[in-house]
Amino acid sequence: MSAPLLQLSQATVRFGGLTAVDALDLTLHERELVGLIGPNGAGKTTAFNLITGLYPPASGTVSFGGRPLAGMAPHRIVAAGIARTFQNIRLFGSLSVLDHVRAAGNLHRTASPLQSLVRLRAFRESEDAITARADELLDLFNLSRFRDAPALSLPYGEQRRLEIVRALATRPRLLLLDEPAAGLNPQEKIDLVALIQRVHREFNLTILLVEHSMRVVMGVCQRIAVLDHGKKIAEGSPDGIRQNPAVIEAYLGSEHATALFHH
Amino acid sequence: MPKPHLSLLLALGVAWLVSAFSGHLDPYHLDVLIGVGINVILAVSLNLIAGHTGQFSLGHAGFMAVGAYAATAVSLFLGPRLIGDSPAQGGFAENALFFGALMAGGAAAALAGLLVGIPSLRLRGDYLALVTLGFGEIIRVLLQNFEPLGGALGLNGIPPYTTPFWVIAAVATTVFTVGCLVRSSYGLGFRAVRDDEIAAAATGLHPARYKVVAFTVGAFFAGVAGSLFAHFKLTITPAGFDFTRSIEIVVMVILGGLGNTLGVILAAILLTLLPEFLRPVAEYRLVLYAALLIALMLLRPQGLFNFTVRRAKSRAPV
Amino acid sequence: MTEFLQQLVNGLSLGAIYALLALGYTMVYGVLRFINFAHSDVFMVGAFAGLYLAPLVPADTILGGVLVVLGAMLICAVLGALIERFAYRPLRNAPTLNVLITAIGVSCLLQALGQLVFGAAPRAFPAVFPARALSAGGLDFSSNQVVVLLVALVLAVALRFIVFRTKMGAALRAVSQNPRAARLMGINNDVVIRFAFVIGSALAGAGGVLYATNYPSIDPFMGVLPGLKAFIAAILGGIGSIPGAALGGLLLGLVETFVGGSEYSTYKDAIAFALLILFLLFRPAGLLGKPRVEKV
Repeated sequence: MSAPLLQLSQATVRFGGLTAVDALDLTLHERELVGLIGPNGAGKTTAFNLITGLYPPASGTVSFGGRPLAGMAPHRIVAAGIARTFQNIRLFGSLSVLDHVRAAGNLHRTASPLQSLVRLRAFRESEDAITARADELLDLFNLSRFRDAPALSLPYGEQRRLEIVRALATRPRLLLLDEPAAGLNPQEKIDLVALIQRVHREFNLTILLVEHSMRVVMGVCQRIAVLDHGKKIAEGSPDGIRQNPAVIEAYLGSEHATALFHH
Repeated sequence: MPKPHLSLLLALGVAWLVSAFSGHLDPYHLDVLIGVGINVILAVSLNLIAGHTGQFSLGHAGFMAVGAYAATAVSLFLGPRLIGDSPAQGGFAENALFFGALMAGGAAAALAGLLVGIPSLRLRGDYLALVTLGFGEIIRVLLQNFEPLGGALGLNGIPPYTTPFWVIAAVATTVFTVGCLVRSSYGLGFRAVRDDEIAAAATGLHPARYKVVAFTVGAFFAGVAGSLFAHFKLTITPAGFDFTRSIEIVVMVILGGLGNTLGVILAAILLTLLPEFLRPVAEYRLVLYAALLIALMLLRPQGLFNFTVRRAKSRAPV
Repeated sequence: MTEFLQQLVNGLSLGAIYALLALGYTMVYGVLRFINFAHSDVFMVGAFAGLYLAPLVPADTILGGVLVVLGAMLICAVLGALIERFAYRPLRNAPTLNVLITAIGVSCLLQALGQLVFGAAPRAFPAVFPARALSAGGLDFSSNQVVVLLVALVLAVALRFIVFRTKMGAALRAVSQNPRAARLMGINNDVVIRFAFVIGSALAGAGGVLYATNYPSIDPFMGVLPGLKAFIAAILGGIGSIPGAALGGLLLGLVETFVGGSEYSTYKDAIAFALLILFLLFRPAGLLGKPRVEKV
């Protein structure tokens, strides 16, 4: 197998006395679509925050494309090729839909900001390229009709989609999706599964997906890792995970246990 | 503004026209015009920091002070050595010297802005407001104790270089620069950082860099405004750049609507003219001013001149 | 050594006044999370209340002094409640920035009204407490300094009792920890917030009179600098922490007095701000505060 794209080894995050992520080993290879599941408070979002540089590891390492990410600021990590969405959608309140995508396109801007003052051709070309690319992405994800609307005026499902588009506009190699199905209705969930698969296919991406909806996770993931109390308790194919006693134990009593058994 | 360069040229043309005919205009009106222009520069530059980037700063008068003193140092102390004691009034040498002084004032203030911008990386909201206020006060106390620049008594006999031309040109340049900056794809980052720093970083934008750039550029123009102010009033004291002055500028930005350039310009004009209109009731001026501010916050928190739909902050999804 | 002790006494009495003011800032910050810029002007009103009350009580007696302090506290408490009701309550769910600007507006309004009503020129403050020059062990101090320390101590003890031993105090602590949970527990947040303003303003009123007895000239802008410094003291102690505010106030008073007595005395007014910046950069939670982690 090729060298791993993302590798967490013995990665640990602590908040005071609480160990939110406990000696986590996780490896993602290029083009994989991996699910990260677990009961509430299992440390999934914390793992995302660790990978994206919001929290430093107390011990252990995270490396991406063979390079350690230790000490890198969140925006540097995005530049290195990891983009994410948020569990509680975080769009910019004062930017239009188009501007969300243009802002993300900044990472690949060819003209310096100082050129905005002289406005020579190089600047115009750089700006036009960013806008064109943004429009293209909006088109691809059926958001063009909202192009100039304030992002927060969009329907909820569209806001989630915009967040994914914004992440894609940074041209990542690895996309982290944090509960993209949260708050969606059944039809929207079905659309989301198709969307994730399409993004995975067409953008040549590696995806790590945190999700509570078993329908979504089981539907799209090639491999699933299960966290409980910060520890990885299982990893394997969707079918293997469904039958894993440790996983069932962890979920027992929670609303998801049923979901897990019946799909 | 689809053609920012044309607008800039147009403004410079107006500046030239006004200066060509300034002999025929009422000196009182010219003074008011200069006062308005200086406040517009201050408000638009603070708007970049507080409005677009969301870094609430109460130290803008401090940047103004740094600019005023640096520019005055150039024109008062360096000037005679560079262009002699009695250059032709309004001649090239004088204007060139003043341009140099403006740039020096801007640069010194920008440096101060850089220094203040750095703590803003770790602080937000009212903590930041307090630190910027603190910086403004520290600058004031340092100037008071610095005898080579006149100490508490300040500097007198500053040459009267500020003309309507320079003021209009500086206003146009400020509005142009800030406008171009925030409208470029790069400049979207200012608002992104204001709206949500974490999401901005997750979009590959460097929040710290944006804040520092906003402070540096904003402070530069505040410094230019201070330089114009010094060569207009012809005397400056540290006490003239206190916290109350910063508040005045903040009020202009709030009144105009945070991040709304046109509104902020209108507010700066209105608030500079207001005291002139209130002259007959001068005693009650401050009371009215304060009452207006409170009423505004209670009744029109989005600013007086913000006619767009209120930002949908409250509609953020749960 | 005498010199040192002398400065220590001076610093403590200045610090006690900062502490009284800082308590008001910290209590309001605790429940509403904003800097009540108008607090410094409530302090000013307290001093002027003292000025107008002084002729009504027996001069130069302890009883008269106590009555003046109590009267100023009462007037400021009412003022604080009014400010809260008419300026801040309508903004309960508004962004912090708007509340902050409103606070600045209220502060400007009080100063402007003060100028109209009291006049802009400094006024001499009468001796409300019996003023005696005391000396003990080679130290010279005025009885007013002792009065400041005693009054501040009594008020601090009373506040401690209120906050930790009464139902209202418990509600106050609950609201400052989690306003939403407090409401769910049946606490009326508006009442608690008004209470915080009343108590804080009363302390500021007492502070105003005490300040005026030691620095006997008062004007409508007298509150600005002590107010800012007291808020800084609250941050140094750990914003939201009541013992922290007292500690921060005393600390700042001492540092300022010692710097004021040294060759760097002209930089005295910058000390508080320099301390503030250092603290915010290196220990933003203050001496007794608890750091907060932002949740993503």
